[in-house]
Amino acid sequence: MRHVLEGSHAVSEAVRLARAQVISAYPITPQTHIVEQLSEYCANGTLNARFLRVESEHSALAALIGAASSGVRTFTATSSQGLALMHELLHWASGARLPIVMAQVNRAMAPGWNIWADQTDSLAQRDTGWVQFYCENGQEVLDTTIQAFRLAEWVNLPVMVNLDAFFLSHTYEPVDVPDQKSVDSFLPPYKPRFQLDLANPCAFNQLAPPNIYMEMRHNIQMAMDEAFTFFEQMEEEFGTILGRRHGAVEAIRCDDAEVILITSGTVTSTSRQVVAKLREKGEKVGLLKIKLFRPFPLNLLRELTKPASKIAVIDRNFSFGASGIFAQEVKAALCNFPGHPPVYGYVAGLGGRDITTEVIEDIYWLTKNSTAPENESSWVGLREVDHAVGQS
Amino acid sequence: MAAQQTPTNRTPLLIPCSYLTTEGNKTGSWRFLRPRYEEKTSPCSAACPAGEDIGRVEMLTAQGSFKEAWETVMMENPFPGVCGRVCYHPCEQQCNRKEFDEPVAIHSLERFLADTASRYELQLSLQKLESKKQKIAIVGSGPSGLAAGYFLTLLGYQADIFEALPEPGGVLRWGIPLYRLPLSILNREIAQIRELGVQIHCGKSISQEFWRGGKSEYDAIFLGCGHSRSVPLKISGEDLAGVKDGLQFLADIRRGEVSALDGTAAVIGGGNTAVDTARSAARFGAKVILIYRRRRQDMPAFAEEVEMALEEGVELWELQTPVNIAAQDGDFVVTLQHMHVIGKDGQRKARVKPDSNKKKKIRVQHLFKAVGTEASETWYEPPKKTRGMLRLSNCVLLHKSREPTLVYGGDLVADIKSVAHAVASGKQAAIALDILFHEGLDAVRPRLQSCLVAEGPSISWETYIGGPRSLRNQRVVRYSDLNTDYFQFAPMMIQPRLLPEERFQSFAEINLKIGASLAIREAERCFNCGLCNQCDNCQLFCPEIAVTRDNNPRGRHINYDYCKGCGLCVVECPRNAMILEEELLCDTS
Repeated sequence: MRHVLEGSHAVSEAVRLARAQVISAYPITPQTHIVEQLSEYCANGTLNARFLRVESEHSALAALIGAASSGVRTFTATSSQGLALMHELLHWASGARLPIVMAQVNRAMAPGWNIWADQTDSLAQRDTGWVQFYCENGQEVLDTTIQAFRLAEWVNLPVMVNLDAFFLSHTYEPVDVPDQKSVDSFLPPYKPRFQLDLANPCAFNQLAPPNIYMEMRHNIQMAMDEAFTFFEQMEEEFGTILGRRHGAVEAIRCDDAEVILITSGTVTSTSRQVVAKLREKGEKVGLLKIKLFRPFPLNLLRELTKPASKIAVIDRNFSFGASGIFAQEVKAALCNFPGHPPVYGYVAGLGGRDITTEVIEDIYWLTKNSTAPENESSWVGLREVDHAVGQS
Repeated sequence: MAAQQTPTNRTPLLIPCSYLTTEGNKTGSWRFLRPRYEEKTSPCSAACPAGEDIGRVEMLTAQGSFKEAWETVMMENPFPGVCGRVCYHPCEQQCNRKEFDEPVAIHSLERFLADTASRYELQLSLQKLESKKQKIAIVGSGPSGLAAGYFLTLLGYQADIFEALPEPGGVLRWGIPLYRLPLSILNREIAQIRELGVQIHCGKSISQEFWRGGKSEYDAIFLGCGHSRSVPLKISGEDLAGVKDGLQFLADIRRGEVSALDGTAAVIGGGNTAVDTARSAARFGAKVILIYRRRRQDMPAFAEEVEMALEEGVELWELQTPVNIAAQDGDFVVTLQHMHVIGKDGQRKARVKPDSNKKKKIRVQHLFKAVGTEASETWYEPPKKTRGMLRLSNCVLLHKSREPTLVYGGDLVADIKSVAHAVASGKQAAIALDILFHEGLDAVRPRLQSCLVAEGPSISWETYIGGPRSLRNQRVVRYSDLNTDYFQFAPMMIQPRLLPEERFQSFAEINLKIGASLAIREAERCFNCGLCNQCDNCQLFCPEIAVTRDNNPRGRHINYDYCKGCGLCVVECPRNAMILEEELLCDTS
């Protein structure tokens, strides 16, 4: 049934339908609406889950690590500084192979304080062993969150579902909320492969000396590989039951495109309009949306960008000293692929600045009219500023 | 079911997992520092002349164990009802809590415990030690004599007290006004001492002949005769008829021999007797002027008493000293010389000298002298150094081979003349005699040394008889030794009192009783410095779960197989009841 839902509440509804058993979170803008709704569901009995109040994000994830070790379905949500505070435990959750699901609202890192959309927070955690999704709209947020539990529990890896601050978290859209029965049939109760059991006491995650540590790390990478293949099968099932597919990546008019724009998150929706408009003008432009960031869909990307002569990656994030992070990943995916198209990196919309249709169109024309990339990333729309502080 | 379509060839999972107990990992082998439970000495108990175990008393009070708390006081001092009222409580000045907010109202709690014992007629269950053959005579039934009798009886000796006056108590009975110390309180605490088995013979004056010539049936005599005579002013007219002695006036009130005082009364002096005289005279209707040769801050009287005297309308004339007294139509004309302070304003009493020839005269209807007291017989005081004499902190022991051993105690040997010091004197005398009888004169000093509270001079009865307190380290816990993160700010309780206008109407006690809930709240403010109150922080914070609670009377123990010596327990102990020591690397056992 379709409801007009805030993006945050699309997450909350998904967690309710997924019948999470333990939820722990610490409030942070712009995530708070997610757990507010869930705490109400726990309090009024809509959701039969234990809501653990904690004093920090670090403790929230630590509490879930304990809960998940006992074999229950767990959920948390955070953003920006909160995610950074969880860093140590992000590694722990994946290393301990716990299928924790997290909604992560992409918000800029401080300082200066900024609560608006920016993906650097979650992309800075790309090496922590979490599966990462970047969603475009409320429906995708809801569907992906339900899928996240299924995927996490299958491969025993934690999953992070990312959504842009405000553009998605605080925007109301019509969202189809599936009935409980359908979700139950897609997502059966969690059957843990290991759990703390008083009847059969054991200890997890103690010393792993050099002779075994590497194999354990490789085992995580194997799970990442499996996550990719399982994701595709799982989406098939989800489609069968609920009638929707989003894909690890989505290619829009890429078949004959000369320039392919690569986007993630909400900027994709704006880009869809630009592509449609440019196509009307006869421009051979395509759009590739990357939803699954970890594991990175290397082969899909290689395949789908084959027709293009130029690739333009729009990053609402940045790795200082290098470039936009999606641009890095795309380049890395293609570099061993002979004859691959040149990759143009564009950084735009940091800290919640709008990426308008005009900005995207500019990026297209800049790419089309260029003979070769002049640098690793071009910062789009930088303003002249007065460097008032620190001048002697 | 759709879920059944999922592939079944899942990647096998590889995580560290052990079904062996981690008890095999004896983390105690990593240790190079060793935590240990070790109770230490609270600064209040070290400051208490009677060496009361205040930290423990407040812990028991906070737990509502009032009888045990009262008995813990009684183990060191048979006068909690008296001292809770009249002691100048040096304990509170040393209270670590004063660095945090305000000291604990120790004296109010001591009084509360005595009042509670009285109200519920609690019976003292301290055990007397086995009977000894020696008998001790005690001269004077003031606080030192009574305390000596009490502790000697607890030690198993027969103690007989001889009192010249018709009722026992000495200065407590005759010198402290009823508004500070009601008779019922004193009588009850003396009755307890009697019930223990101390014989008090009143109306029996003793002279030196009592023990001279080897005919005494006693093995030792304790002399706690006190100051019973006022020091003269040494000015003309002081012996005029009607010029009264402050101490005598206070005793007369007790005997019911004082009626209304009209007009103005002058009281000369600045000590507690002077202030007591002034406040008592005010209660009989006089307008009172207190005349002191130095300044208010130099007065030997307790500041709180001076404060209350002023509240009650007593006028204080500072830097004035009488130089002449003359009689005039039944009144007294007193010539006062102005004094001025010379030299620098130091910590001690100001030095003063006459301010040229500035003089004035006042005419008063009553005149009281209270500039000091002294022993009424010279033999009450210890002789100059002689053979067999041992000067201890609170008494002087004179051992003679053919005569009974003499012990001089109480105010006549004390630098600070307080009830608590008198109790300390009686206690020290009793213990010193016990050591003397059993181990000889040479053992007295070293054995007393071993039962000092901190570095002394107070000594502990409980330590002497080998009670749990003897296991304490004598080191005094300082404020910086505590972990005050675990304490909340809470102001000191306010002592309920009669209003100044109510006080005039009678000699009713000024300080009112407090209830159990207020007492518990106040006792909970106590940091219990150096003592374990079983808060369990050590257990809570131990990362190796090496602190276990069991039936051990001390409550906890450390399993050194697993204690890795991180010291968290010691740091998180709010009360400094643990220590961390270097581990002995070679096992000598």
